Amino acid sequence: MVWVFFLQSFKLLGFLDVQSVPCARESVLYGSVGSLVVGLGHFLATSRVRRSCDFAVGGFICTMLGYWFYCRYNLAQQRIRQRMLKEGMRNRILFEGSSLDPERKLTGNERSDS
Amino acid sequence: MANHLQLGFQDASSPIMEELVEFHDHALMVALAICSLVLYLLTLMLTEKLSSNTVDAQEIELIWTILPAIVLILLALPSLQILYMMDEINEPDLTLKAIGHQWYWTYEYTDFKDLTFDSYMVPSTELPLGHFRLLEVDHRVIIPMESPIRIIVTANDVLHSWAVPSLGVKTDAIPGRLNQTSILTARPGVYYGQCSEICGANHSYMPIVVESTPLPHFENWSSLLSS
Repeated sequence: MVWVFFLQSFKLLGFLDVQSVPCARESVLYGSVGSLVVGLGHFLATSRVRRSCDFAVGGFICTMLGYWFYCRYNLAQQRIRQRMLKEGMRNRILFEGSSLDPERKLTGNERSDS
Repeated sequence: MANHLQLGFQDASSPIMEELVEFHDHALMVALAICSLVLYLLTLMLTEKLSSNTVDAQEIELIWTILPAIVLILLALPSLQILYMMDEINEPDLTLKAIGHQWYWTYEYTDFKDLTFDSYMVPSTELPLGHFRLLEVDHRVIIPMESPIRIIVTANDVLHSWAVPSLGVKTDAIPGRLNQTSILTARPGVYYGQCSEICGANHSYMPIVVESTPLPHFENWSSLLSS
């Protein structure tokens, strides 16, 4: 079972825990695919091995960082929406039935003075 | 608290610590990209025959000037954002004074009448089963959850530092000076920290325990202690 423990605690280059950091695993995987596509494509087009390797590494870095920023931006937006939802639910419970209830203001004609 | 052999951060329990953990992940990803590039260049250099053909290197000089500048901007922008976020002025619901001594902490709730107590570490010989060695104290700092708390840190004798990693706070306690920090706990719980400035023989034996509770529980506790 040692190999199971190894998989659970795998850190890329010894410091990046791709299992627990959000978006890290997908970034590295997409970076690898991008690297293969760019490197292989360049080699098929030019048959130059050394330059294709350069393009492969560049493609890995650009694809990995590009997806990383895209994924983290979406994650930040999601967290903001979660906070707004949590705040909204709390305010709804707090203000329900009171003069500050926004639903009461919207349907002001239907509610009589109580 | 930290597990044994833990190298990474503890789980974040305050919004600031969540932002710090995210920034750390971002910095590690940038570091991964740089390390990959450096490893590749090293491999190239080791497999290349040495020659003196290069006489003009304008392109590479341009690249290794602009690329580090871009990397620095990628790191500096979120870092400064968090830095200013930590210094935001918020209206605290409670002010708590933490005074460092050799080798214990004193806490003063100046918003309440005569609410002051000392917080000593529980020795290992007196520790109940299941409690944490060198981390438990006899009197915890009780604060209401989801409320901004102002903490004023100072010391009575030598330098100390009031630190709680899971809340993302570490403030030096300096004799004759008042340092201010602000915390906001996202959920109820018990958060452990230790003195973080060398202060003598028992520097490792003056822990900090913050217990975050719902407001009614906090009010009960404060009324019991101040009466």
